[in-house]
Amino acid sequence: MIDARDIRKEYGGFVAVQGSSFSVDRGEVFGIIGPNGAGKTTTLKMLAGLLEPTSGSAEIAGLDTETAEMRQQLGFLPEESPLYEEMTPISYLKFFADLYDVDPDVAEERMHDTLDKLELEHRDRKLGDMSKGMKRKVAIARSLINDPDVLIYDEPASGLDPLTTNYVIEFTEQLAKEGKTIVFSAHNLFHVESICDRVVIMNEGEIVARGDLEELQAEYGHTRYHVYTTVDVPDAVQENGSYKRVVESMDAVEETRERAEANGGDVVDIRTEESSLEEVFLNVAEAGTRGTRYVEEDTE
Amino acid sequence: MQLDTLLRVAKWEMTKNAGGVDKRTIVVMALSLVAMGAVAAIAVSGGAGAGMDDGIYRIGVDESSPYYGVAADDSTFDIREPDPAAIERRQQELLYRGTQLQSVPRTAKERAALTELRDSTAQYNDRTLARDDNQTAAFPVSVTLVYEQQSGSSQLDPRSGDGSDGSGPSAGGSDASDGSGSSTGGSGDGSDTGGTGGSAASGGGDGGTAGGSGANLGAIGARLTGDVQGGTPSDISPPFPFESLVLAFLYIVPMNFVIQAYGSSMLSERLNRRGELLLVTPVSRGDIIGGKTLPYLAGAVGVAALITAALRFGNIAPAGSYVAVLAVVPLVVLFLSATFCGAMFARSFKELTFVTVTITVTLTSYAFVPAIFTDVTPIALISPLTLVVLDLTGQSVGLSSFVFSTVPPLLTGLVLFGLGAGLYREEDMFTQRPIPLKVLDALAGGINSRRSALKMSIVLLPLVIVAELAAIAFLFVLDSVSLNVFGTNQSLGIVLVLGVIVVIEELAKSLHVYAGYEHARYERTLRSALGVGALSGLGFFIGEKGLLIARLSDLESLPIGEAALQGATLPAGLPLWVAGLLFMLPLALHTVTAAISSVGASRGRRAYVAALTVAIVIHFAYNFTVVSTLV
Amino acid sequence: MRSLSREKTIVLALLIQLFVAGFSSFLVVGLTSLYDPSSVAAGEVEMAVTGDAREELEAAAAEQDGTSVTAFENEAAAQRAFDQRRVDAILRGEYVPSTRGPGEQIAVTAVVPEGSIRSTLIVVEVRRVLNALERQERLERTPYLDQPPVPLPDTVSASQYFGFTYTILIPLLLFLPPFISGSVAVDTVTEELERGTMELLRVAPVSLLDIIDGKALGMVLLAPAQALMWLALLSTNGIAVSNPAAILLFITAVTVVVVTLGVVLGITLQNRRPAQLLFSVLTLVLFGGAVILPEHPATTVAKLAVDSPTLLTYGHVGGAVLLAVAGYAAARLYIGRVAAESL
Repeated sequence: MIDARDIRKEYGGFVAVQGSSFSVDRGEVFGIIGPNGAGKTTTLKMLAGLLEPTSGSAEIAGLDTETAEMRQQLGFLPEESPLYEEMTPISYLKFFADLYDVDPDVAEERMHDTLDKLELEHRDRKLGDMSKGMKRKVAIARSLINDPDVLIYDEPASGLDPLTTNYVIEFTEQLAKEGKTIVFSAHNLFHVESICDRVVIMNEGEIVARGDLEELQAEYGHTRYHVYTTVDVPDAVQENGSYKRVVESMDAVEETRERAEANGGDVVDIRTEESSLEEVFLNVAEAGTRGTRYVEEDTE
Repeated sequence: MQLDTLLRVAKWEMTKNAGGVDKRTIVVMALSLVAMGAVAAIAVSGGAGAGMDDGIYRIGVDESSPYYGVAADDSTFDIREPDPAAIERRQQELLYRGTQLQSVPRTAKERAALTELRDSTAQYNDRTLARDDNQTAAFPVSVTLVYEQQSGSSQLDPRSGDGSDGSGPSAGGSDASDGSGSSTGGSGDGSDTGGTGGSAASGGGDGGTAGGSGANLGAIGARLTGDVQGGTPSDISPPFPFESLVLAFLYIVPMNFVIQAYGSSMLSERLNRRGELLLVTPVSRGDIIGGKTLPYLAGAVGVAALITAALRFGNIAPAGSYVAVLAVVPLVVLFLSATFCGAMFARSFKELTFVTVTITVTLTSYAFVPAIFTDVTPIALISPLTLVVLDLTGQSVGLSSFVFSTVPPLLTGLVLFGLGAGLYREEDMFTQRPIPLKVLDALAGGINSRRSALKMSIVLLPLVIVAELAAIAFLFVLDSVSLNVFGTNQSLGIVLVLGVIVVIEELAKSLHVYAGYEHARYERTLRSALGVGALSGLGFFIGEKGLLIARLSDLESLPIGEAALQGATLPAGLPLWVAGLLFMLPLALHTVTAAISSVGASRGRRAYVAALTVAIVIHFAYNFTVVSTLV
Repeated sequence: MRSLSREKTIVLALLIQLFVAGFSSFLVVGLTSLYDPSSVAAGEVEMAVTGDAREELEAAAAEQDGTSVTAFENEAAAQRAFDQRRVDAILRGEYVPSTRGPGEQIAVTAVVPEGSIRSTLIVVEVRRVLNALERQERLERTPYLDQPPVPLPDTVSASQYFGFTYTILIPLLLFLPPFISGSVAVDTVTEELERGTMELLRVAPVSLLDIIDGKALGMVLLAPAQALMWLALLSTNGIAVSNPAAILLFITAVTVVVVTLGVVLGITLQNRRPAQLLFSVLTLVLFGGAVILPEHPATTVAKLAVDSPTLLTYGHVGGAVLLAVAGYAAARLYIGRVAAESL
């Protein structure tokens, strides 16, 4: 559905995004993750046709990102959604419906439907008088006014209170279930795990890692084993009346068992702990500073 | 560009703004407009009667002196008790006993006071004598003024055929326009953006004196023709369409309000990245810009049409027609395009205010100053406002004049829209850079390859033409100031015109090259620099030759016009090889000077400025030689 | 950083004013020279006089500096000279029975070239000669008049632009800074509101009123500083401006009034477009409406500058100061209330 081929963006002498390639399948939720200044927004704007790549090209549904046809199928939500403060949500959405050439009746139904789902009241209040969360909801409704197949959301949950953040994430998840292809960026990994099918991790304009969550886990994550014993073993800490030793391989688990048995004790419990995406991310960032490693991924 | 999407954007631009201005504002606005009308009405009726120069000269005179009546009738004078000591203390400027001036005017103020008194006396005499029983003795001279072609004249103005009799508003009409003259003068005084205040204030001042010197001055004097009987010498007035000019000013004033609103709207798209979302819609850039501009364009032209209709049916300028409205269109385009560029360049509303004021002043002068010379010289046709004046005074406007007058500003407007549109994209719209860098960004927007240098030189040509024509009009006055420069007997005006034109042309040829280097569009090598420069010069040459349109204006008939356009036209009667050489020389010149500044541009800012200076000097020397030897 | 940007603003403001002043001066100088050939060394206007009153015409022309005349007995010869451009105009004076009553008058037919750049100059010069002729003739016919005409004072060399300088140029230069200050005040207030930075400022331990005070003060100080600079510039150009202290006080008061208007409009409308528009219109109305005052503010400045102030002039200065203080106090009350409501 989305195909980015070696897209690169330079501003003057500064390289914002080094040649990046990735593709997103229909109905997939694709996350671009990285710290501030990693080039996420630039990448998304190139996909949305807002920025012209210095080199490389991007296509959405087989259409070049510069074309009007492509834009017609796209819903874009910028990180900060500046709205026309003097308009009301209704007039604002009608304005964009008009620009997307949506039939007025269809638009009317669609906008109220979306606003209902988003639980937005006060639809005739001026946007300038609304809270940030309400404005975000209007912005999301706007990105859906043309019933696009592809959604590009830049930090959809940034700057919102936790409640609204949850809400927005859940709504995004819902959209994915309805079959929309979604690309979004985040520097906050908290929710990404729950909704992303695949992610790329960017740092300093470069994609430093990619894959689905398991793959990343395997490459950068660690599986830790918490071995609980009845007697003290080296490197163990006392916890709830038993001793716990954290090791990173099955061999070490075996070794711990042997030691415990040697001391006349036994292993009472073994728990596995998978590292979170957050940790993966930190590891990757670390790896990035040591020298980049790639997880090879066959496109499609 | 698609018309229906453009119209859709336009529709929303209008409704969005209607939402932005709430009812309270509209009420206050309406009240202010009513107040403005009231102020104008007061000014017209002379109810308040306070002139700008009230009481600036103090004259010591008592009722026994005949000058008492003179001073009492002229509010410029403040009448005091005659007191020689007050003169010494510089508290009185003039001292009269009887008909004798008792003081010796020494200071500039005292001299000015005496000169003013002399003028007032002449007017006073005309007024008192008009009541005299013996009118033959009171007005012993009657004048008939006849305008006649000096045969053999080549300075045929397209409209001169009907000039002597085909014009002149009716007596009623010009009385009414006298009235509106002072009203616009009054409202212009504090004018909206400050800039226009200057011209309006001075215009208003003139209006006052004109009105004072004789109520029907305009009617008889403007075009005293053979069959008008009984004019006195004071009734003569030079061919100067004062009323029409004031009316023409009426057309300019609303534009300044329109561009203020337009600039705000455009800049607020850039604040907080508001306009980003429009850019992701399927609507094209051109449609967005066009749609957002259309309401203002239509509004401004609509106002011009309303003014024309009001003048026509209010019998103030019964000759006003669609020609006046059409002539205003390029001006509106120019105003809007300049504001559009300004809004794309400005970083904040504050900067926009400055930009808007600059635009107002520059374009108002461009439109207004040449129009002053409407009946005097074809140079006036540089400004489309001249067409408005011609149309309002009922003179016919030839197609060639219309084209000459309207095409350059129209093209300039389009070029400016093009430059601004180059910045109407994500990358440039929301960045905050100083205005000069933004200008370079805009220029660099059109550069892709080395060949772009050629294209840019041609594209910028309308700007060059308009700037040069405006310079000619401005320096036109100075043309009469003779100045012997280097023994070549060129007038100061011609020398200045040459200088200004050379600077404009060299800048136009090299600035985009510099922008290209700054944006790393060209390689910084000597070979590339020479190539780019030569292409730029070639482009300019091609464009210039394509612009023999200037001939339409009869500009060459004036020495100053000839100087400006030299190279563009060839003197007749030269041997072919000289003509060929003269044709090729400008090409060599443009190429060489452009290459010089291009080499400078490739080595950074300082080098560019230095090289540009060298190029300007060479160009000037060339032009000066050509003008001195051939003209 | 802040002071730097402030300086830039001043430079921009000054440049624009210079431009405006230059433009208006140019316009006036241009117009004046168009009317008065003697102000431009354009060479003399050559006139052919013919007809039976040519001697009178010659005598009248002799008074004029810018004119030289040649008498032609033969009208056709005069016409030829005109066609060959040896003369710029023909004056044909004939004694004819008066159309205005008994007696004779001189009927002059003046032929001037059409569509020439010099037409205006020539017409002005023709008018001068004929005015002189009229005066001459009136003098001879004084016994027939009810009342003798008032003799014209002598001509002295005086600056053409004296009146213009003091009544238009100086007021224009001095009223521009207040206008620009007010306009910029609208910009700063609405920009903060539109960008939402005002909300950030509000979090800081200063009140909205303090912020507005600060902004207004900056804008108010800018204007008299510029005015002072203009006065200095004018005096280096040999244009003496009297009563600078009173002028500066007056301009400061006017600036306070205008800036107050700008700030109040900005706070009330919160949006630049309507605020700026309304500001322009209202200042225009205020400035124009000031004609109902006994003395227009521009005249007040002119009279102070040219050193012809009267009690009325000082009254206006005092009035302006009172208005400024009262206006600003009222505006503060209003802003305080708005701030209380919105917080």
